[in-house]
Formats: sequence, C-alpha cells, structure tokens
Amino acid sequence: MENLKRLFENNRNLVAEITRNDPEFFQRRAGKQEPHFLFIGCADSRVPIETLTGVAPGEMFVHRNIANQVRSVDLNLLSVLQYAVEVLDVKHVIVCGHYECGGVKAAMGDQNYGLVDHWLAGIRDTCSRHEQELQRIGDDNRRFRRVVDLNVLRQVYNLARTPIVQTAWKRGRRPMLHGMVYDIHDGYLKELCLQIDSNDRVSELLETTRRSIGD
Amino acid sequence: MATGWRADAPASIVVFLVALPLCLGIALASGAPLFAGVISGIVGGIVVGSLSGSPLMVSGPAAGLTAIVVSAIATLGSFPAFLAAVVVAGGVQLALCGLRAGVIGYYFPSSVIRGMLASIGLILILKQVPHAVGWDKDYEGDESFVQPDGDTTFTAIDHALHAIEPGAALIALASLALLVLWDKTALKRLKLLPGPLVAVLTGVSINLAFSLVESTWTLGATHLVQLPIASDASTFLSFFTLPDFSALTRPETWKIALTLGVVASLETLLSLEATDRMDAHKRESPANRELFAQGAGNMLSGLIGGLPLTGVIVRSAANVDAGAQTKLSAILHGVLLVLAAVTIPGLLNHIPLASLAAILLYTGFKLAHPRILKAMWGQGWKQFIPFAATIVAILVTDLLVGISVGIAVAFAFILLDEVRFDCFTVTSPPGAVLKRVQLQEQVSFLNKASLAKLLASLKPGERLEIDGSRCRVIHRDVLEHMADFRLQASERGIDLRLVGIDLPPPPPAH
Repeated sequence: MENLKRLFENNRNLVAEITRNDPEFFQRRAGKQEPHFLFIGCADSRVPIETLTGVAPGEMFVHRNIANQVRSVDLNLLSVLQYAVEVLDVKHVIVCGHYECGGVKAAMGDQNYGLVDHWLAGIRDTCSRHEQELQRIGDDNRRFRRVVDLNVLRQVYNLARTPIVQTAWKRGRRPMLHGMVYDIHDGYLKELCLQIDSNDRVSELLETTRRSIGD
Repeated sequence: MATGWRADAPASIVVFLVALPLCLGIALASGAPLFAGVISGIVGGIVVGSLSGSPLMVSGPAAGLTAIVVSAIATLGSFPAFLAAVVVAGGVQLALCGLRAGVIGYYFPSSVIRGMLASIGLILILKQVPHAVGWDKDYEGDESFVQPDGDTTFTAIDHALHAIEPGAALIALASLALLVLWDKTALKRLKLLPGPLVAVLTGVSINLAFSLVESTWTLGATHLVQLPIASDASTFLSFFTLPDFSALTRPETWKIALTLGVVASLETLLSLEATDRMDAHKRESPANRELFAQGAGNMLSGLIGGLPLTGVIVRSAANVDAGAQTKLSAILHGVLLVLAAVTIPGLLNHIPLASLAAILLYTGFKLAHPRILKAMWGQGWKQFIPFAATIVAILVTDLLVGISVGIAVAFAFILLDEVRFDCFTVTSPPGAVLKRVQLQEQVSFLNKASLAKLLASLKPGERLEIDGSRCRVIHRDVLEHMADFRLQASERGIDLRLVGIDLPPPPPAH
C-alpha cells in the first residue's frame, strides 16, 4: 500500500507544481485532443516515452503491448490506429522498440512462457526470415540488438500494409510512419527508418532491410 | 378492336358534341370565319388524331391561341395572309420535332399540371354557369378572366344570374340531373348511350316541346348551336379559304408563325402531359411524335382555311370522361364533325347551349373535385403552393400566363431545394479532428452555395478533407471557388485537403 499511496502523493505534487506556473493548464486540455503522434511501443516499464520525448499531455496518442507488435488481427491495435488516423488525423505513427526487450529475448530462446509465446510468433518469423544474417553475427548481444531492430522494421511494414494506412495514403501522404529504437543503456532514441509515407517508400524499406543481410 | 369501337364510338359522339360549340366559339373569339373553327376541329381529329401517338388527347382550335390569332389577323390585314402564317407555324412545329424539343414536356412540374387541370375545371364551371342559365354573350371556350365583352368571369355570372332564361336553366338542370344519374347508377354501363348524349337529346326534346306549345321559354337561335349552313355545294366550298402566300415576303408573317408554332407546341405538350395524367391506364404519349402530328395538322389546317390547332384539355377531358380507350375516339370525332357540317347542320342547330354547358359543368366538377385539392394538400406545401398558385394565376389571367406563373413558382421551390440541400455527406464521426466530407455524384452550380457555406464555416486550425473521388461532374464555378478558397486557406491556417478533385488553373489576373 505504501507504493500506491506514493502515486497519489506524487500526483498531487505534480498538479500543484504545474498549476503554480500555469493555472489553466489542465482545463485547456480537457477540450478536444489533437495529437500529432501515434506511438506504438513496448509495455516495458523502462520506456517512459512521454518523459523521454518531453511531450505535453494531449500531444501523443499511445498504444503499448509486449514487444511493440503490429498484428493485423489485433482489434485493440487496429481500433487505436483507425481512431488515430481517421478521427484524430495524426501526422506521424511511430513504432518504437527498445534494447533488452524481454519479449524479443523470449522469442529468440527455447524457454516456454505460456500464452505470451503465441503473441511473440511474429518475432520468431522475423528471426527465421533473417536466419543467415543473424547466424553470421557471433556476438550474442549484437545479435539480440539486431533482432530488436529487425522487429521494429517488420512492424513498420505490417503497419504500412494495414487497410487503414493504405486507404489514408490513397487520400494523401499521411500519416508518415517511423521506426525507432530506444537504447535503455544511454537513454537515446535512434532512428531506424523515417518518413515512410507511400508504398514506394515501403518497397525501399524492404530492399534496404534485405540488403543489410550482407553486412 | 371490337372493344375499342364499343367504348370509342360513343365517346367520340360526346367529344364531337362538346367540340362543335367550342370550335365555333373559338372561331368567333378569334375574329375568323366560323367555319375555320370547324375545319381546325376536323383536321385536329382526323389528321392529328391519326398521326399522334396519344391514345386520348383531342386536338383542335384552342382558346389559348385566340389572343394571338386576333392580333395576328389585324397585323397581317387579312385572314388568308394569316393562314400562310399558320402553314409556316406547322413547319416550325415540324422543326421542333426535328430538334427533339418534346423533352420540354417532361419538365412541367406535376403540381402545375394538376393545378392546370383543376383550374380548367373551375373555369368550366364559372364560364359555363352563364351559358347554363342562357347568358350566351361570351363565346364558348373562353378561358380568360377578362372577357372580350368587357365582363370578367365573375361579373358575367352576376349578369347571368340577374337575367336567367328559365328555359335554358330548366334544360341545364335536367341535363345535369341526367348526367349525375348516369354517372352514379348502373346506367353507366350503357356504353352505347353515354350520359352526355342523353343530356343533349333531352335538351333538344325539351326545347322542341317548348316550341310546340309555343312557350315563351323556347330558346331562340342565340341560345342554340349555330353551325353555318350551306345551301349548295359551291356555298359549302366557299367556307374553305386558301392561304395567301404572298404574305411570306413580310417579316411579320414569320414572327407570327414562330410565336404560333412555339405557343401551340407548349400548349400541346401541356395538354399531352395533362391527358396522360388523366389516363386510367397511365399510358405515356411520345412527345416528339406529337409535335410532328401537330405540325402536319397545322400545315394542313392553314392550307384549307382552318384556325391553328393544339392539343386541347377540355375536349380531352371530356374524351377520357366519356370512356374513350384508344385514339379511334379522337379520329371519329373529326369524322363526325365533317359529316355534321356536310349533312345535318340544321339538325345540330337545335342543340341548346345549356345542355352542352351542363356537360362541361359536370366535366369541370370532376376536374376540380375537392378530393384533388385535399390530395394536393396532403402532399405538403412544396407541392401545394405551386398547385394553388397555378390555379389562382390561371383563374385571374389565362391559361398560358397562369401556367407560366405556376411553373415559375414550382421551379423556385425546386431550385430552393437544390440550393438548400447539401451536396455532400459528412463521413467522419462527429467531433473528429479531421472533418471529412464526400461530395455527391453530381455537384451542380446550384450546390455552390452549400459548399461555400461549408468552407466559410472553417476556422483557423481546422482540418477539412473534401473527397470528390465519387463525383462524375463538378461544375466549373464550384471548382473555381474551391481553388480560390484553397489559396486563402493556407494563409488562414486552414488545412484543406482535396481528394480526387482536379482544380482548374487559376484564371488570368485582370
């Protein structure tokens, strides 16, 4: 109970601090939300994206699940995506992974975790698709980081293929899709692919991902 | 065909009986020889009836044209010169047929047509009341409020009621009673003996009875049908006048011909629509073929000394009412006019106008039945106001002016609807950050206002997407408005996105 109490305490302190500088702050945000970003990230507690990017309340629409998956059968994600794209008209959709991701690690190993193994099937697919490249990486840690990157790129591709994004693109180059990764070790966000706003850019993305197998 | 004959032959007799005084009356009102009206009726029946595609419409001399005819004869100086214009007017109608102008008929709003029919009914009642009581000063078939004799419809009724001819009134009442009796009882099934015919025969009998007992109630010639009687063949032939084609060198002739051709075509198309509306089988008559038939009819009528003709509503209504099924009835009524003019003019001149007035009164009552008024009221004010406006305008002016007023009112309502109704549907949920609208298939000039209103309602910072990908047509003015707005939108911080809309290049600066 001590921990829970702390939440309310912190909350009161924060509100007090904010309203001291800007008394109208919360009232202003009670109206319509017009976020520019949809963030699709991992549920991991070490990725506090609002804090990391310094966005204010009302600026970012957020969806988080284990290992930042974009699966075309996930009604939760699709609802978030549809609402963000068609109603909130967000300009940017960001898929963000992070190193030391437990979900990715689980997908790479042989251990059974239960239900979550179903959820992670996509990552195992990605691993087998890039098996040759991954085998060539001797260092386990580097291989782990590479799978995190590949997972993000795969999810950006999945995102681009959803009818919601396809329909939106037919109307204009919006939303732009971005793939990023957060390095838990130093706190920096690293870009993997930026400004995917058409099927041509998706093809380029696939091409570069495939070519990187050689390195 | 046997069933056709059984229904059409009796109907043709009724139409003939109604048509005869109308032909004479309209000729009188037109300032033309009386027989010109009969010729026009004959051609309208036989020639137009044969060529026309309409099963029920009757053609003949029209009250709606009398004003034009009177002034045309005065302008051209002679009746033969006018006949040349009638021939050319027929040519104008053939040309209109060639131009497929018949489609105009489809744009007469239904409320106006119904209003016209109802007002024709009222006119019949109002104009025939004087005839029914023996006040036969105005010509038969007048449809104008202000009559040639200086009276108006209402003052004429007033006069008539102060000078009732008891004989005429009795005949009219008896005829009317028989008509109602025939219509409302099993007697209706006597197809070979239609009510109107019974009414006429009764009228003739009553008047003969009056004269036999030398009653003061006996109706004189002025209250009876007056067909010119030829004593011999050469006199009969002299009733036919040949056109004077030297008039064609004068520009006025052509102007009159054009006016006649256009007005007669309009009146025909109106009558055609109205007659189709009365048809129990709801048959649709081909409009362009009708223009051809009318053109041919007018050319012939002009060539042999007849008045210009059009499709006419009263006779058509009487035709429908008498149970006609096919155009045989209209053709036969023409044949009967010929036979009557040649063989029994003396006999026909025994028919009291009061009997005919009773027939027209009853037809009028059916056209202007309160049931129709109630039905139109039930259709809402957008239908009722043009309907009522048509009736009032026709009653206080004349048919063509009244129709024009009615059409103007109806079109105003139609345009109002077009202007008011949005040309787009909002496809985004309420409160969406991006408001998304889908344009309808056709965006006309009239939709500009609703779109302009939508654009004008945008505030800085708002986002609107207009999806025109389903449009087939967007009027250029609407496109230009969107193009203009897009320029100022970016300045005002409005996010306007156009999907599937090709904007025209900006017009050159002045």
